[in-house]
Formats: sequence, structure tokens, C-alpha cells
Amino acid sequence: MSNDPYSALGLKKSATDAEIKKAYRKIARTHHPDLNPGDSTAEAKFKAASMAYDLLKDPEQRRRFDAGEIDATGAEKQPERKFYREYAEQGGHGYGNTHGYEDFGDMSDIFADILRQRQAQGAAGGGAYGGFAGGGFDARGADARYMLEVDFMDAVKGGKKRITLPSGDNLEVKIPEGTRDGQTIRLRGKGGEGYGKGPRGDAYVTINVRPHKVFKREGDDIHITLPITIDEAVLGGKVPTPTIHGTVNLTIPKGASSGQTLRLRGKGVKRGSKKGDQKVELQIKMPPNVDADLEKFMQDWRKGHAYDPRKGMTS
Amino acid sequence: MTRFYSEEQVITSITRLTPSRLTTYVQHEFLSPAQSESGPVYTAADLARIELICDLDEQFDLQGDALGVVLSLIDQLHGVRSELRRVMTAIEAQPEDLRGRIIAALKEM
Repeated sequence: MSNDPYSALGLKKSATDAEIKKAYRKIARTHHPDLNPGDSTAEAKFKAASMAYDLLKDPEQRRRFDAGEIDATGAEKQPERKFYREYAEQGGHGYGNTHGYEDFGDMSDIFADILRQRQAQGAAGGGAYGGFAGGGFDARGADARYMLEVDFMDAVKGGKKRITLPSGDNLEVKIPEGTRDGQTIRLRGKGGEGYGKGPRGDAYVTINVRPHKVFKREGDDIHITLPITIDEAVLGGKVPTPTIHGTVNLTIPKGASSGQTLRLRGKGVKRGSKKGDQKVELQIKMPPNVDADLEKFMQDWRKGHAYDPRKGMTS
Repeated sequence: MTRFYSEEQVITSITRLTPSRLTTYVQHEFLSPAQSESGPVYTAADLARIELICDLDEQFDLQGDALGVVLSLIDQLHGVRSELRRVMTAIEAQPEDLRGRIIAALKEM
């Protein structure tokens, strides 16, 4: 990026305030990234021009820059800005809107199918227009967007939830078993009322899953860290272990180490016919205080059984 | 958790946005925040859209219906681009001879 705000706007230092504004508007109009989604150089040019304009539009700042008191970035640095086009094509944000392809004749059937699929994937359309059937105006109602926060276990197990809005309206949402964080559920016909004979819009409910203090979700697997005692680590044995399906007895192998991960097959998240596993990472916890017995035992043991777990590590 | 922003958080993070302007944008349906039990919430995509609306409002002096028309055209442009991208991805996945026939047909038009 140029360090000269005047050249970023294609101007000379002698430019008037009106010329600066005019030059900036022209670049903003021709290079705004959201108005030119296909031009990768547009963003850099627009940013440079915006920065330059921010600096030069204020006569006092311009004087200080000309006098060399501040640099081209001005006094404070601006935070990194995300442009809308980075999201615009992804769908699911509620603003996707192509108004259909009815003017395409026979080909419109293909596009109508594509559109329907897009909607099913959660890209809430802004409302396709229904035309002028019967001489009156009919149009599909607007889609509505909702966010529902649910507990970790409710998302895992599924169930019915009700959103009660501050306005007093409420909406029942069926949460399928194994719902992921950020997943969007479509409720057909639960959006805004249609115009004329147009059908109601749909409701899109994004599920926000609250984290659990024990269970962490990794796809359809569940991960937990399980504390074990030193005697359990040395001798092995069965240890009661929480899973999302209730407590099970997990067999700890003799000589288990911290960080070792055991797998409980089929004890993860159930989603349709698929079932994940639960991964249990062991973590050896020392007793609250090291008593004289333990200390003496360890001192005796060390004499004849020294081992080096750090072998091969270079400093 | 998927990140959502409350109205106050949106106004704090976009310094040029005022509560009254945000209300105006929502009333004009330039924005449709998701409704939650604690009131409207905004996504990162909504935030980027607000920046765009502020640009159009402040720098191009577009307000009200004029701003609505421009936003609608931008939405349509992105919608068409998104669908064109899907069509191109689908063509890309086809065997070479079929791709060749499609390219030849495009050249003939």
C-alpha cells in the first residue's frame, strides 16, 4: 500500500478539499468491494482510498500530515474490516435473493430446483415473488430468523423447545437428536404472513449450543478428560466414567499414563443411524498431600527402578 | 458456541453506528437480525452488512427506498453469483468430454 494518501486518490498535494472528496467518491463507487465482488484488487484500492480520505477530509489532520506531524495511517490504527462479500455468497445469512428465473422459459425449471435445494440447506431467501395471479398481488411472506440457545445435553439428545420472544410471541422448535452448534433448522410456513394468496414464509432457527463443563464435542465423538489416582494408574482397574448416555465402568489398563486416550465405542453422539464414540483422556491426579508413607515408598522404589521418560528429548 | 452479537455489542464494535441508525436499518428491513429470547442478535455476516450499509448511507448519501433498491440489487447480484458458482462447480465435476461439450456450446452462443 502506498504511503502517500494523495497518490492513493490519484491527486497532487495541491488538491482542494472538493477535489479530494470527488476523487474519493469516484474510487469508492468504482472499487467498493461489495459492489465489485469479482475484482480482487478492488479491496486494496478501496481500503487505500478510504484511509487516505479519512486522513485528508479533515483540514486539521491534513495540515498535520502535510507538516509531517502524523504519518499516513493517522494517529490511531483502524481495526481490520471484514467485507460483506466474504459472507454474501455463503448463504444462511438471510439475505440471499435471486427472485427466481421465471423469465428463463423452459430452463427455469432447472433453476427452480436449484433454488429449492438452496432453501433446504438453510439459505433463507428474501422471498420469491409470486406474480399477479388472478389480477391481485400475491407474494410469499418474508422468512423469519431466530436464534435459540440450548443446553449441550438438549442438543445431543434432541427434544422440543419453545422460543419465547420479548414481544410475547412464541414458537415451538423440534430439535433433532445430535444437533450441532450453529446448525439451522427450517420450520416451513412459520415465517411472515403472505401477501394476497401467497403462502407464509419459513422460519430459520439457528441453534446455539452452550458448552458443557465435562463433555466436549468433536464431530459426533465426545471427548472428556478423566482424572485417575496414582494407584489406579499403576494397578489398572474399573473406574466409573460419565458418558452422555449415563455412567459406565471403564477398564483402565495397568500402567496407564496421563494423556493416554481410551475409546468407548458407540458412546458418542447419535445422529440418524450414525453413532460416534467417546474418547477418554486419562489424567493422573496426585493425592491432596504426599504423606510420609508415599514419600518413603517412592524413595525406596527410586533406588532400584529409575527410568527416564525424557529420553531422546534434546534441550 | 457460534458467535452472536447483541445490539449493544454491535454499536460498540461499529463506531460510526448509532442506536437510532441501527433501528432505522432494521425498520426498513435492510437487516434482519435473528430473534432470540434476549432480543435481536447479529452474526458476523450481519456486522459486515452493516458496514456496507453505513458506506452507502454516509458516503453515497443513500437513504430510505434508494438504499433499499441498491441493497436489493447487491443481494440479487450475490445470489446470482452464488448460483453461478454452484453451476460451475457442478460442471467442473463432470467428465472431460462432457465439460468439453458444454464449453463448445457456450462458445457457439
